[in-house]
Amino acid sequence: MLLIPISSSSSSSSSSSSSVLPQSFFNSTTSYSSNHHSLFLSNLSYPVPHGSRKLKTLRLRANFWESIRSGFVKNNNSTQLVEPPSIVDDEEEPLLPVEFTLVERTLQDGLIEEIIFSSGGEIDVYDLQGLCDKVGWPRRPLVKLAAALKNSYMVATLHSVMKSSSGSSGDNGEKQQEKKLIGMARATSDHAFNATIWDVLVDPEYQGQGLGKALVEKLVRALLQRDIGNISLFADSQVVDFYQNLGFEADPEGIKGMFWYPK
Amino acid sequence: MLLGGSISTPPASLRLRSNLYPQNAVTQSSQAAFPSAMQRKPPSYSISDEDLKSRGFLLRRTAEGLNLDQLNSVFVAVGFPRRDTAKIQVALEHTDALLWVEYEKTRRPVAFARATGDGVFNAIIWDVVVDPSFQSCGLGKAVMERLIEDLQAKGICNIALYSEPRVLGFYRPLGFVSDPDGIKGMVFIRKQRNKK
Repeated sequence: MLLIPISSSSSSSSSSSSSVLPQSFFNSTTSYSSNHHSLFLSNLSYPVPHGSRKLKTLRLRANFWESIRSGFVKNNNSTQLVEPPSIVDDEEEPLLPVEFTLVERTLQDGLIEEIIFSSGGEIDVYDLQGLCDKVGWPRRPLVKLAAALKNSYMVATLHSVMKSSSGSSGDNGEKQQEKKLIGMARATSDHAFNATIWDVLVDPEYQGQGLGKALVEKLVRALLQRDIGNISLFADSQVVDFYQNLGFEADPEGIKGMFWYPK
Repeated sequence: MLLGGSISTPPASLRLRSNLYPQNAVTQSSQAAFPSAMQRKPPSYSISDEDLKSRGFLLRRTAEGLNLDQLNSVFVAVGFPRRDTAKIQVALEHTDALLWVEYEKTRRPVAFARATGDGVFNAIIWDVVVDPSFQSCGLGKAVMERLIEDLQAKGICNIALYSEPRVLGFYRPLGFVSDPDGIKGMVFIRKQRNKK
């Protein structure tokens, strides 16, 4: 109904944890940063952390990357992580850039595939509908889908970009790139206290590689970095474990999720 | 949601709304948003607007005139932490629908609830509070019934909330079901220790 079952790769022995970032570290006003990443035409409704444009690299906890990498080993393909894993001190977690490459790998036919995460909300609603079809969700009117995206505080996407490893001269670089939406998650929020994650989905062809985990983990981190204290969601019974492994707790202190006359 | 003290079931008598709509009804105007919103028949509430008015309670659907310091006091009175009023302001500006009850005599808020969401599919109701001095006389129910109605009028079909265990009995008679089909409400817990 709300969240798609995502088959995930075997999780690492420790659950991924997130730090509480000192509040003084961030500018928590709703002023719009004018220096956000120039790749986006989307309408950012949340403040972009000022440090993001300087970030070229992303350092993550080693155990998290281990859990991602274990899903990527394939015959005859070389998989290359963009960033080497490193241990990051909890108190110094860098600001997430709005867009960055999660994984880059060379495929058999010489193509290079990049999986790109973005919290900028740049998403084609037709692509989204196609993705929802692929995972078997009932169709929703496009106009409503577009409105839901626009009214969401944050929309995180995963895109796959294919390009050839040997650049052919004279070709327009864009023709060599094929960008495909392969995952999405969004969060609604009151911009101050609470955020709720909805509609987490990953293209079935890309499931089982830890991408869903990455999607949610990054979305959560981005929300925390915007000083949203309470992040919640509703999980279908078969994905409760998936979210537990990402740091979510069901019925904390006995608090129950309730729905009004659910179908 | 946190409600200080227990909520007793209001009297069983149901009064149907009269044909007169209150001044700040949103039912009609919301239908222009999407053609798929159905024609809604006049809602019938457990306690009518007129009833509430006669007891000195005024229904408000915007934050206009809502004193945030007084609202904060109600939050504290029911056990919420006191929150930064500037942040409450931001939250209210990004709220899909809200409803509060003003006590005419003191001009203070005595009941409140708000909902956030994407405006088309989903809404979550937060911060349902009734001042402890005014509990057990139907104000919480009055606020919830109208907030739900307002959300429905916008075409939002999925209305959810997180309920403390001791007030599950307040939400159930309103039509809320916990864990339908095994769906669990989950919250992100920070600073989780690594589990072996």
